[in-house]
Amino acid sequence: MTEHQTKPWVAAYGDDIPVTLPEPADRSLGALVDRACTEFGPRRAFTCVVPNGMNGSLRYSQVAAMSDAFASYLRHHCGLQPGARVAVQLPNGLAYPVAAFGVFKAGCVLVNTNPLYTPSEMIHQFADSGAEVLVISDIFAGKLAEVIPQTGIRHVVLAGVPEFFPRVPETIVRAVQKVWTRSLPPVPKLDVPVQRIRTALRIGRGLPKVTDWDSINPDDTALLQYTGGTTGVAKGAILTHGNILSNLEQVRAMGARHMTGEDCVLTALPLYHIFAFTANLMTFFEMGARNILVPSPRPVQNIQRALENYPVTWITGVNTLFNGLMNEEWFATYPPKHLKAAIAGGTALHQAVAERWLDVTGTRVAEGYGLTETAPLVSFNPLDQPVRVGSIGVPVPGTDVALVDDNADPVEAGAPGELLVKGPQVMRGYWNRPDETEKSIQNGWFFTGDVATMDADGFLTIVDRKKDMVLVSGFNVYPNEVEDCLAKLDQVLEAAVIGVPDANTGEAVRAYVVQNPDSEVSLTREDVVAHCRKHLAAYKVPKSVVIRDELPKSPIGKILRKDLKAEAKAEFAKGA
Amino acid sequence: MLTELETTLLGVMMMVIMLGMGASMTPRDFRLAFRKPKGILVGLLSQFAVMPFLGFTLAMLLGLPPALVVGLLLIACMPGGTTSNIFAYFSKGVLALSIMMTTVSTLAAVVMVPLLLGFYGGLAGVPAESSIPPGNVAQVLVVLLIPTLIGMVLRKLNPNIGATVELIGSFMGVVVILFLIVTWVPRNYQLLLDTGPTIYVATIGIGLSGMLFGYWVARALGQDTNRSRTISLETGIQNGPLAVLVITLSFAPALQEGLLLIPVLYSLFIVLTSTAITLWYRRNATREELARDAAKLGTAGA
Repeated sequence: MTEHQTKPWVAAYGDDIPVTLPEPADRSLGALVDRACTEFGPRRAFTCVVPNGMNGSLRYSQVAAMSDAFASYLRHHCGLQPGARVAVQLPNGLAYPVAAFGVFKAGCVLVNTNPLYTPSEMIHQFADSGAEVLVISDIFAGKLAEVIPQTGIRHVVLAGVPEFFPRVPETIVRAVQKVWTRSLPPVPKLDVPVQRIRTALRIGRGLPKVTDWDSINPDDTALLQYTGGTTGVAKGAILTHGNILSNLEQVRAMGARHMTGEDCVLTALPLYHIFAFTANLMTFFEMGARNILVPSPRPVQNIQRALENYPVTWITGVNTLFNGLMNEEWFATYPPKHLKAAIAGGTALHQAVAERWLDVTGTRVAEGYGLTETAPLVSFNPLDQPVRVGSIGVPVPGTDVALVDDNADPVEAGAPGELLVKGPQVMRGYWNRPDETEKSIQNGWFFTGDVATMDADGFLTIVDRKKDMVLVSGFNVYPNEVEDCLAKLDQVLEAAVIGVPDANTGEAVRAYVVQNPDSEVSLTREDVVAHCRKHLAAYKVPKSVVIRDELPKSPIGKILRKDLKAEAKAEFAKGA
Repeated sequence: MLTELETTLLGVMMMVIMLGMGASMTPRDFRLAFRKPKGILVGLLSQFAVMPFLGFTLAMLLGLPPALVVGLLLIACMPGGTTSNIFAYFSKGVLALSIMMTTVSTLAAVVMVPLLLGFYGGLAGVPAESSIPPGNVAQVLVVLLIPTLIGMVLRKLNPNIGATVELIGSFMGVVVILFLIVTWVPRNYQLLLDTGPTIYVATIGIGLSGMLFGYWVARALGQDTNRSRTISLETGIQNGPLAVLVITLSFAPALQEGLLLIPVLYSLFIVLTSTAITLWYRRNATREELARDAAKLGTAGA
C-alpha cells in the first residue's frame, strides 16, 4: 500500500506541509533555548501585562543570562544533579520562562504545577515526583507551612506576579497586592531555605556556568506533566526532550508558513498546562516572536489592556475563553486588528463559537487536538484549507492514528472508535505507574480514551470522551453533540451535559445551562427542551435541565463534567 | 478661609486628579460607552437633573441666606467626584460605570454647570454680586480638561506611566480631603462650632438625598440593584474640591468666606456619609452574591 492509502490525510498536507517530519535541530530544550537567545538577542521575548496595563518585558538576551544564572543556582547552590526534579508553580509571568528554562539548562526535570492547587494536591504532586526545589508564586506562599514538611523539597524560591517589572510598577503592583487586595500572605517560617528569585539569580551569577547540559539526550526526561485529575489521583506523564522537540517540529510543520519572528502571541492560558507550554512558550520563543503573558484571564476583562496595547497576531485558547472574549463588548466592538488566526484546543470547540469568532474577528479558529501524554499536539487543521467545522484536523506529520473498538480491533471506515496515537511525541509512560503505563501504551500505540471518527480525507472529529458517553436505553449519546446544540440557543452562554441514573432508561441525559447575560430572552427549561427536540433525536434530548449561574471549570477553562457528575451522584445517592 | 498656598495646592491636586482620570481611559472606552448609553444617560440625568433640583429644594426649605444658597447650588450642580470610583470599588459596584459617569459628567459640566447655576440661581433670587460668573466655571473646567488629555496621551505612549498616574490620581482624591481636614479644620474649629444646625442639615442632606434619589431614579429606569448602587454613590458624591477651587478663583478673599462654607463642609462630611453608605451597600452586594450562590446549589430536576 502507498502512504496515501494507509494515511489518507497526507493528501490534505498539500504542498506546504512536509510528509516526513524533519529531525529536530536541537538535542535538548536547553540547547533550543540557548540557540534562540543567541539568534534573537535584542528582541523582546516576553511581556507580562497585569489588568491595569502595568507591564514588564524581557529580551532574549536577558532571558539567556537569567536562565543561565538560575541553572547555576540549581546545580551549584542547591546541589541538584542532572535529572533532579524542580517543581514550578507559577501563574503566567516573567519568572516562569526564567525558572523553566533554567531547569532545562541545569539538565533537571521540570514539574509544572497548578498554582491553584490545594495543599493536599501539592503534597501529592511534590512527593510523587520527588521534587527537590520548588519555585512558587509569593501569593501562594501561605500554603508552604503545611506542604513542605510532607515533601522532599529542600529549597523554596519565591517569585512575584510583577517580578522583573521596572521598579516603579513592580513596587506599585506589590503595594496593591499587599494593602488593597491583601493577596500577599506572610511567608511562613520553614525548616528549608526560602529565597526570592532575584536573590537566587544573584547567587547564580556568582557561580560557574553550567556547561554539561549539552550532554543531555533527546531520550532524557524534560517534564513531568501531571494529568488525569479526571480519573482520580493525578499521575505524571514523562515527556522527554525528544517528545517536546518533535512536537515543536510538528507544530512548525503545520503552521510555519503563517508564523514569523514578528508575531505576537497572546498567552492567556496558563503556561504550566501543556497546551500553552508547547504552543505558546516554546513554539513562539524558538521563532523569535513575542509572548504576551497574562497572569490570570479571569475575569476575561483582565485581558483587555494586553489586547489593546500590543499588536497581537495569534491567540491560543479554549472554547470558554473565545466565548468569554466575544461576550465582552470591548472585544466584540474592537477585535484585535492584527490577528491572523486563533488556535483552539483543550476541549471541543463549539460550532456556534467558531462561527461567531469568524464573524467578530474576521479570522478563523483553527482547532487542534492534543493530550498531555502527547506533548500535546496530535492533529491540527491545515491553515490553508477552508474551515472544516467540528473537525480537529488531520494527524500532524510523523504521527499515525488508528480508530479501534473495545477489543482494540480497527473499526470500519467512518465509524466511531477509540483514537490511538503513535508518534515521536508520545510520552515514555507515567512516572512510577508501570500498571497505568501498560494500560495506556500498547505496542507503541497510546490509547487516548477519546472516541473519534475519520472521514475519507483523513480529517478527524472527536465524538466524545469514552467515559463521558451516556447510555440511554442502549443508545449512545455523546454529550458534545448535545452541548453543541445547546450552545446554538441564543440565551445559552454555556452548557454541559452528563448522564444521570434513570429507572426506565438506565441513564438519562441531563443538561446544565447558564443564562447568556447579553440575551434579551430569559432562559427557561421548556425552551431548552423544545430547542433540542427540534434538532436532536428524541433519545438525545435532555430529560432534565438545570439552570446555573456558572459551571465548574478547570484552570484552563474546560468545563468539568466530572464535577457535575460527582454532584449528581451525591444527589441521587441521597435521593435513593 | 483658604490661604494662597492652599488654593494653589488645591489647584495642583485637581490637575493631578484629572491627569489620573485621563489616564484611566481611552477614546475607545468613550465610543463603547456611548454605544450602550443607557446607564450613562441615567447617570447624567440623576447628576444634572435630580441633584440640582434637590439642592434648590433643600436651600428653599431651609431658608438659607444667599451666600450659602450659592454654595449649596454649586455643590449640587458639580460633576461626580473621582473619589466616587474608590467608593464604587469598595461597595462591589460597577467600577467601569462609575469611571465613565465621572468622566462624562465632568465633560458635560463645561456646559451644564453654568446653565444650571444660572437657572437655579435666578429662581432662588441670588444677588448678582454673589453669583458665580458662568464663564469662570467653564474656564476652570476647560483648563482641567488639558491634564485629562495629557493623561490619555500618557496612557497611550506608556502603559506603565499611564497606570501609575491613574493610581496616583485616584488616591489624590482622598489626599485632597485629608489635606482639607488637616489644614482647614484646626484653624476653623470655632467656625464649625458656631455653624448652625440648618447648615449641617444642608451639607449632609444634599449628599444623602442625592444617593437616595439616585438609587431610586436608576431603579425606576430599569437599572439592576448593583448598577443602581453605583449610580447612587456617583450621584451623591460630588466634586467638592472643584467647587472650592471655582469659588477661590472667582471671588476676592473677603467674599469667599460664606460661599465656601458649604462646599468645604460638604467635602469633609461626604467622606463620612459615603463610607457609611458604602459599607451598607457592600453588605447588600455580598448578600445578593450569597443568594445567587445558594440558588446555584439547588438542582431542580425536570
